[in-house]
Amino acid sequence: MSFYKEFTKGLWNELPPFRLLLGLCPVLAITKTAQNGLGMGLAVLFVLVLSNMIVSLVRGIIPKKVRIACFIIIAATLVVAVELLMQAYAYPLYQQLGIFVPLIVVNCIILGRAEAFAAKNPVNLAIADGLGIGIGFTLSLTFLGSVREILGAGSIFGVKLFGESFEPFTIMVEAPGAFICLGVILAFMNHLSKIQNRKRGLTANEKLGQGCTVCGGCTACSRGKASA
Amino acid sequence: MSNLDKNFLFSMSVAPFWHCGRTIRGNSIHTGIALVLVIAMALWHWGISVIGVVGLSAFVALLTEEFWNKVMERHSTWNDGTALVSGVLLACLLPATAPFWLVIIAAFCAITFGKMAFGGYGANPVSTVCVGWAMVFVSFPIYMDPNAMLLQTDFIDPLVRLKYFGPDFMEHSVSFTDLLLGKQIGALGASQNLAVILGGVYLLAKGVIRMEVVISFIAGILLLGGILNICSPEQYVNPFYHLLTGTTLFCAFFLATDFACTPDRSIGMWLYGLIGGMLVVVIRTYGIYTDGAPFAVMLINLLSPYFAMIQPKPFGVKQ
Repeated sequence: MSFYKEFTKGLWNELPPFRLLLGLCPVLAITKTAQNGLGMGLAVLFVLVLSNMIVSLVRGIIPKKVRIACFIIIAATLVVAVELLMQAYAYPLYQQLGIFVPLIVVNCIILGRAEAFAAKNPVNLAIADGLGIGIGFTLSLTFLGSVREILGAGSIFGVKLFGESFEPFTIMVEAPGAFICLGVILAFMNHLSKIQNRKRGLTANEKLGQGCTVCGGCTACSRGKASA
Repeated sequence: MSNLDKNFLFSMSVAPFWHCGRTIRGNSIHTGIALVLVIAMALWHWGISVIGVVGLSAFVALLTEEFWNKVMERHSTWNDGTALVSGVLLACLLPATAPFWLVIIAAFCAITFGKMAFGGYGANPVSTVCVGWAMVFVSFPIYMDPNAMLLQTDFIDPLVRLKYFGPDFMEHSVSFTDLLLGKQIGALGASQNLAVILGGVYLLAKGVIRMEVVISFIAGILLLGGILNICSPEQYVNPFYHLLTGTTLFCAFFLATDFACTPDRSIGMWLYGLIGGMLVVVIRTYGIYTDGAPFAVMLINLLSPYFAMIQPKPFGVKQ
């Protein structure tokens, strides 16, 4: 039951880019197409699950004072593995993602989950957490990439959706389009939570305004769990 | 301040206070009157298609504002006229033969992302009109290029000539009178320089817009353009051409003076306009676009909070 709970929280309540607003650098930069978003999401998923697992395994051995350096080394090792795998089996995707693959090392989701969750919990829960957050991240990136690709290029996963006369709204695949899309999606998600709250009989902004436990945002930080 | 208790708080709203009996609606009406002349002159040059573009843009702007007011459960604000004015101003930046979907997208984006997303009139950090213009300009460069859209005309596009054939060729092929009378290829309303100047002077006389911004914007263009021109006349054009081509004067009178995104003190306004004017020349001379006056306006809009920090020393305070 606990495994299930840790897994599902990453899919909606603590959805990294749209709820916690973490890891925004790849979210904004590489979601020009749905395919890029999916590729980046899968790379992060791979690194996140394995890093959570390893960090959880060695959590008793690492001294407190050097833990951050150790987490970074674990993440870096895994990212190099992903990079080599991508070069071998998905070279076009690797070229598209460019610098953002090595940058997964410093992605705050990886370090955040290691610090806030994996370093304090047993292996099975750490894996569940990594899977949930990773899949949430992948789905978010694919969704944002799809929206931007449909509007900005008239296609999805490279398949043309509209006829020849369609004029793509090119700004959506440029940098400003990423911010506009993200803003609209965030507004939409907040609106959804308001509606949900109203159904549960709470006041509209209760979830946003009250305490740490309901919001879930501060659990991404190492002190969040302790205070909650 | 040192004598006061640190915990003592005056409750007051942000300074400058300005009471002159004007209303938002009054400002909109005056701006509308100033724009009537511009539209009339555009009608004379470009024909009946102008009515379609202006009408559609204004209608979609109004509709979008009403829609978002409904969604956000707010009072409807159509009768303050700001959405209508934004729509007409936006239409003035589009080519006269813009296709209907372009106008709809531009007006929708302008009101949605330039105004309502920030909370409505007065809350926008960047000029509403410029946001809509920039979004379609970046997305559909061909449809926004008046040179490609206005094929059935004898006029020429001075800025394209300036960009690709050099100042010498341009200065021989267009006269100031033609430019002043709007006999040039350009945006629907913004190229009607005479009407824009008359409308702008009307707004200045009515006190709707501040002369500091307008004068310093024009001075910025003449200053930087003049310096470049003096340094190397065969490479850089006479600055008065910068003034009368593209959307420069329209930006100086109607867009840079947007009430919500202009600094509120004299020194700030002078700097704001001066930098804006210089940016216009910089964008035209070194940028990839032939005209970038609305981009310059957006950039100075973003700077205006910093200009607002330039504050006078309060009376009676010891240093």
